[in-house]
Amino acid sequence: MKRNMAMLLSVVLLGLSLTACSSSKDSSNDLKASSNPDTSSEAPALSGDDLAFSKFPKPVDVHIGMAVDPTDKTLPEGDSVSNNQYTRYLKEKYNINVIVDWTAATGNDFKQKVSLTIASGKLPDGMVVDDRSFMTKAASSGLLYDITDLFQQYQSSQVKDIMASTDGRAMENASYKGKMVSLPNITVDTDGVHVLWIRKDWLDKLQLPVPKTTSDIEKTAKAFIDNKLGGDKTIGIAGPSKNSFPYSTFLLSSNNMGGFDPIFGAMDAYPGYWLDNGDGSVSYGTLTDNTKKTLALLADWYKKGLIDPEVGTRDNVGDPINANQAGIFFGPWWNGGYGNGDSFKNDPTANWQAYPVYSDDNKWNAHMKTTGSTYTIISKNAKPDVVKAILIMNNALVRDEATFDLSVAVGWYPLRNVMAAANETEYEYAELLKVLKGETQPEDYNKPNSLYKLMYADAKKVKDVIKAPYDDLNVSNFSTANFGDFQRLYSIMIGDRPFTTIPIDKKVYSVTYNQTPTMETKWANLKKMEDETVLKIILGQAPLDSFDKFVKDWKAQGGDEITKEVTELLKK
Amino acid sequence: MRKLGHQKHYYLMLLPGMVWLVMFSIVPMFGIVMAFQNYNPGAGLFKSEWVGWANFKYMFQLNDSKTVILNTFIIAVGKIVFNLLVPLIFAILLNELRSLRYKKLVQTVVYLPHFLSWVIMSTIVIGIFGYYGVVNTVIGMFGVDPKLFMADAGIFRQLLIGTDVWKEFGYNAIIYLAALTGVNPNLYEAAAIDGANRWQLIRRVTLPALTTTVVLLGVLSLGNVLNAGFDQVYNLYNPLVYSTGDILDTWVYRLGLQNLQFSLATAAGLFKSVISFVLIFISYRLAYRYADYTVF
Amino acid sequence: MVRNKTLGSRTFEIANIIVLGLLLISCVYPLWYTFCVSISDKSAANAGLVTIFPIGFSLSPYKEIINDRLFFNSFWISIQRTVLGTGFSLLVTVLMAYPLARPKKDFKMRNTFMWILVFCMLFNGGLIPWYLTIQNYHLLNTIWALVLGGGVPVFDVILIMNFFRNLPKELNEAAVVDGAGPWSILFRVYIPCSIPVLAAVALFLSVYHWNEFFNGLVLMNTSDKYPLQTYIQQLVVNMPVGTNLTPEQYKKLSELSNRTLNSAKVFIAMVPMLIVYPFLQKYFVSGIMLGAVKE
Repeated sequence: MKRNMAMLLSVVLLGLSLTACSSSKDSSNDLKASSNPDTSSEAPALSGDDLAFSKFPKPVDVHIGMAVDPTDKTLPEGDSVSNNQYTRYLKEKYNINVIVDWTAATGNDFKQKVSLTIASGKLPDGMVVDDRSFMTKAASSGLLYDITDLFQQYQSSQVKDIMASTDGRAMENASYKGKMVSLPNITVDTDGVHVLWIRKDWLDKLQLPVPKTTSDIEKTAKAFIDNKLGGDKTIGIAGPSKNSFPYSTFLLSSNNMGGFDPIFGAMDAYPGYWLDNGDGSVSYGTLTDNTKKTLALLADWYKKGLIDPEVGTRDNVGDPINANQAGIFFGPWWNGGYGNGDSFKNDPTANWQAYPVYSDDNKWNAHMKTTGSTYTIISKNAKPDVVKAILIMNNALVRDEATFDLSVAVGWYPLRNVMAAANETEYEYAELLKVLKGETQPEDYNKPNSLYKLMYADAKKVKDVIKAPYDDLNVSNFSTANFGDFQRLYSIMIGDRPFTTIPIDKKVYSVTYNQTPTMETKWANLKKMEDETVLKIILGQAPLDSFDKFVKDWKAQGGDEITKEVTELLKK
Repeated sequence: MRKLGHQKHYYLMLLPGMVWLVMFSIVPMFGIVMAFQNYNPGAGLFKSEWVGWANFKYMFQLNDSKTVILNTFIIAVGKIVFNLLVPLIFAILLNELRSLRYKKLVQTVVYLPHFLSWVIMSTIVIGIFGYYGVVNTVIGMFGVDPKLFMADAGIFRQLLIGTDVWKEFGYNAIIYLAALTGVNPNLYEAAAIDGANRWQLIRRVTLPALTTTVVLLGVLSLGNVLNAGFDQVYNLYNPLVYSTGDILDTWVYRLGLQNLQFSLATAAGLFKSVISFVLIFISYRLAYRYADYTVF
Repeated sequence: MVRNKTLGSRTFEIANIIVLGLLLISCVYPLWYTFCVSISDKSAANAGLVTIFPIGFSLSPYKEIINDRLFFNSFWISIQRTVLGTGFSLLVTVLMAYPLARPKKDFKMRNTFMWILVFCMLFNGGLIPWYLTIQNYHLLNTIWALVLGGGVPVFDVILIMNFFRNLPKELNEAAVVDGAGPWSILFRVYIPCSIPVLAAVALFLSVYHWNEFFNGLVLMNTSDKYPLQTYIQQLVVNMPVGTNLTPEQYKKLSELSNRTLNSAKVFIAMVPMLIVYPFLQKYFVSGIMLGAVKE
């Protein structure tokens, strides 16, 4: 028996030493990486764009983890996540070997995998995370490479311009404690501006005007339902799904398809945003009276059956929209076109048009987004050449995205990081209109390294997709022959029209778009409370008064503490 | 002694299983120390900062922990009770059937849902209880307004318990049916001659034959009062029903894998393990004392 | 058996037949429903309008599945996993159950080992340490992580152990008199006498391995290594959290929301279990009864 215990013990110890052994290996790597951060293997003669697009003399292996789309069918037979047109391009042009350590389906599965890799402390060289808290957790655990210097050296002029177009907000977003620890994602400003999407063909059928205010919307939605324009089960206003939210927040400040952001804006309410009160104090937008009033309005609409009865439980915001059951929804510029492709396929006359929603005193109020919400993080254990390779991969994508054969989804580009000039869509809207009217020619946009990287490609195809007359674009002006082109141009020319052509009366920015220290432990709980309260009030499952209790609980359970921290940020 | 000479072989037989337990169960158990640390992935288990009971204190400060423990308890106990009673009633009803072929058919088919995973069952449950699903269609015939079952925190627990019982009742009835095959038919005849009607037959003959089994199963499921069923909840819930549907296991999962609060998640997991261990121990004693049944 | 055919009795019988019939229907309905959705028109299915009968008719999901390499790949992985995992666990379980079924006077350490087992069943270090351990064994992304992950199901050990204990003592004694050692007693006497309970446990194990999705998700690194349930789970349950999608991702998402195709996959995934279980049914019924209930 003693012998047995001894054996058992030795097995335990073996297991222990296994873990101990591997973790000590890690820490020695840490030391190595941080003690000689910059051992360049190539001639230092290059600089600027030459350096930003330089080819490595010897192949450099870059290990990555990446999110993939399980339904994507665009990879040709025989290609794979680690061998496709994009990886071959990187190999040929820059001698970069991409090795995919792991993949997971976009969404929760991917988040889970990222959490596990962070928990294990063994990050792949690079991965793109879609939540800032992942970046900050990895950074605070000392897992990330400080790329401050290398980025300055290796950024291409295009990347530099795009970064500059955000007035330093992108850099701040990508940094932790003053050090740049990730490549930021920079998306167009209009991603954060939510507008009203409405079936203009239904309005025309009923000879109704385009609704401007919340009360107009109410009447219109009622008319749609009463006249059964979407069949027996017509939905007046589609809403968020079980995975999306009634409004975007300071942490997820853009692309909220199916949210009610414009309604809140029209009521001068900005829930989920940290508001500067102008007197040195800060308040959390959800707690305001205007938010409460808007919730009362939405609850009233839900009760009257104007809002999708299945709001908050559907798998996908787009389902009722694509099935052409719904006549109204809210979302950013690309929601019509990119966002509801099946709607056009099911009904080619579905004339979705985008408009602002105005307050009763005729103002367009909109909350504005942060620069971007994904982060390319690089492991502290990555060799300097690998870090350079990742920076070059980013430069290359920004420069060459428009030249790729996009029949293979660009999502397959390893460590794909979207970097677009903040006003790219507005620029394209204005210039494409000029091309259509013959004021400019596509060749005028053939400028290499342009800040507006997709402009030339779009200019070349715009006339194939859009037919005259150009003054009042409807779905009938568009050809759906190449559906991908149709979706992009529809989104730009219809979806971005309000933001490009109509000035916003009141732009609201959040005091911060990042988590404060206390939020790291307490925010999840507060957010959960907020989501529940808000949805339940809208669905009539909780009385409006529960809002007051929520405000009290929110403050007591760390909200006050966090508000103080945000106030400190404002003082800086 | 020859008998003791066998011991060597007994150890040898236990060896593969014990090696597995050490490698895959005991070694990872050292991770429990995380519950007493502020775990920092960069530093690892050995160098993370020790914080004593701070994670547990914080856990019980959170409103969530109370909600979650309560939900877990209610859902699990509901499942235990109804998973005892419904199969019991079903077994009795089945026992009363005259047609053997029909009996066989029912028996075979009702096992079926047990064999389908919650991944699959969730798609079906969501479909059936959807706004235009069959349940709303049926209650619509009686003039009831359609309801959003999956979003209604007020009935989500009942839904969880109900669908679980529905999935498992046929399977759980096996043990009762087995016990009923052991009943001497003469007992029924004797009682019938005494003029007992059907209800009295059930009460006097069928039920007593099942009492021991029911009591025993009840005691043995004591260890499950904190197992509310991760797979089911994970695949069915949504934020609207967190207040009633969120359970310890899903909470731990979200803390650890979505909010990156590794230490807090481990603390909550440990809490669950300790309580379950105590309960299993109690049920072991109870079963031994009152049913003279040695569980293990 | 003499029973009075009173009116009440008749009513009861008819009611009973109907009630059980409804239960029967409720248990078949999932299959039927899934099948109906899978052959219905896509938009109607997506809008959740299918209830009792298919709306429209289309076999295109099934045609699409035939060309889906990943689906069949996952299917094959699940079969491998189920066979290997069931085999491994069954062997280890039986080997453990036999010594533990010995009375304490035969095997002194029995109770100690039993409590170690129960302890391991109840305590665990949580997901993250477990993941790290498997990572350190270099099992991630191999089928062995899935096979071994099921490991030693303590509950099944107890079940078989109880069955062994209930076998007549004479069996053991007679074999000992014949000079048989523990190994031959186990393999020549106990196992042949225990086919029902072993079949039941084999069924439990294969149901577990066939239906388990979470380990597949956590321990496999690429989707071509996913078992079937994980593959389905990522299609039907995992949905991107809405607000920080790019337009292209969203475009994809609307294709992802494809209930007809998903239902077809779910339907096909149910088939193996439906084929297997009628064959094992007669065994597991007696196995469960004998293993769990001690008369």
